Amino acid sequence: MRNIPERWIHRVASELRRPVRLDDEFDRGVMDAVRAMPRHRHRPWTRMLRARTITVSPMITGVAAALLLAVALSAGHFIGVLRANRATARVDVATDRSGGTKPGPRRSVQFVLVAPSARKVQVVGDFNDWDASHQEYVAQHRGGGVWAVTAAIPEGHHRYSFVVDDSLWVADPSAPRVLDDDYGMPNSAIVVGGGDAAQ
Amino acid sequence: MDGSTDAQIVARVLRGDAELYAELVKRYRDRYARYALHMLGNREDAEEALQDAFTRAYRSLARCEDPERFGAWLFRILVNRCRTVGARRGRRARTFVSDDLALHDAAEEHPAERSAWREEIERALSRLRPEQREAFLLKYVEELGYDEMSRLTGVGVSALKMRVMRACDRLRELLSDVRDDREVRVERRRPEVNDAKHS
Repeated sequence: MRNIPERWIHRVASELRRPVRLDDEFDRGVMDAVRAMPRHRHRPWTRMLRARTITVSPMITGVAAALLLAVALSAGHFIGVLRANRATARVDVATDRSGGTKPGPRRSVQFVLVAPSARKVQVVGDFNDWDASHQEYVAQHRGGGVWAVTAAIPEGHHRYSFVVDDSLWVADPSAPRVLDDDYGMPNSAIVVGGGDAAQ
Repeated sequence: MDGSTDAQIVARVLRGDAELYAELVKRYRDRYARYALHMLGNREDAEEALQDAFTRAYRSLARCEDPERFGAWLFRILVNRCRTVGARRGRRARTFVSDDLALHDAAEEHPAERSAWREEIERALSRLRPEQREAFLLKYVEELGYDEMSRLTGVGVSALKMRVMRACDRLRELLSDVRDDREVRVERRRPEVNDAKHS
């Protein structure tokens, strides 16, 4: 370290390393907040659906894509699923200026997720403070594992994610992803309003 | 649950035993309070950031990729919460750590002297730029390696080394008078100790 005796810096650091203690009141505050949130109801299959980043070579990617396409075609659901995914986060032209917590114009946005094993799907984002308790963001099952909800979203840039069965966060597979500030995990991005609206 | 690993507790919380989350709060509360306190400079903001980190971690527990390293994941959330809280209160008058939260070990010197020394350190720390304070605390107080710091903060290793170096330079400058006084006092004490041994 330039011009700085390590011994002196370590004496400063050792002073700062002294223990700090919070009282039980802090624990109660955290647990009260935890109890106010939905309980986790984890199921083994949820890990398989978890969004994650993997690194593969271009050749393996091509082979995997071909296999995936073949499987999807043989299953007979490809067209329906493709339509559902294309419909994800579709923004209607008509504006909706009623309701919600944020001021300013809103637009109807349809969020769609294909999750055949899910029992419940909700949308959380910065437009609802990432709070899964809002009923207007609970998706309805439309058949064939397709879940959809249409909500009035304020114009502007937003980040969002799906919450499956109150516990599993799933990024929208057909929307651009953003790196979450807090967790380093991908969420989805959407632009609502004007000519920049996500399709 | 004292003998349970973090991963075992996380698994049970995810299965619906929300009360068990209190064990994780107890495990990491004090350790991480220290970082939040030094980073933000006062108890109120530190507790707010830490509580927020715990509740966000609970809400997103299913997204914890490696439950065995729950503590590291939580710390990453806390570092980001401290950035957010620090930026938000940037315009407010800065304070520094009140003594009631710190445990004082009076074995080495007079408590008042130790308290004054600690106060000077905290005052100097609060005058560092936030990114320099963050880098200094992670390197010298939390004793992380640069690679781990880089993963935690998303900042490159060379930039972190520069921040640490500048933080040390600035601390040396801010504490130069105090440091000189303390070194003189320490030097004066040593002969007394030696004399006592030989008498």
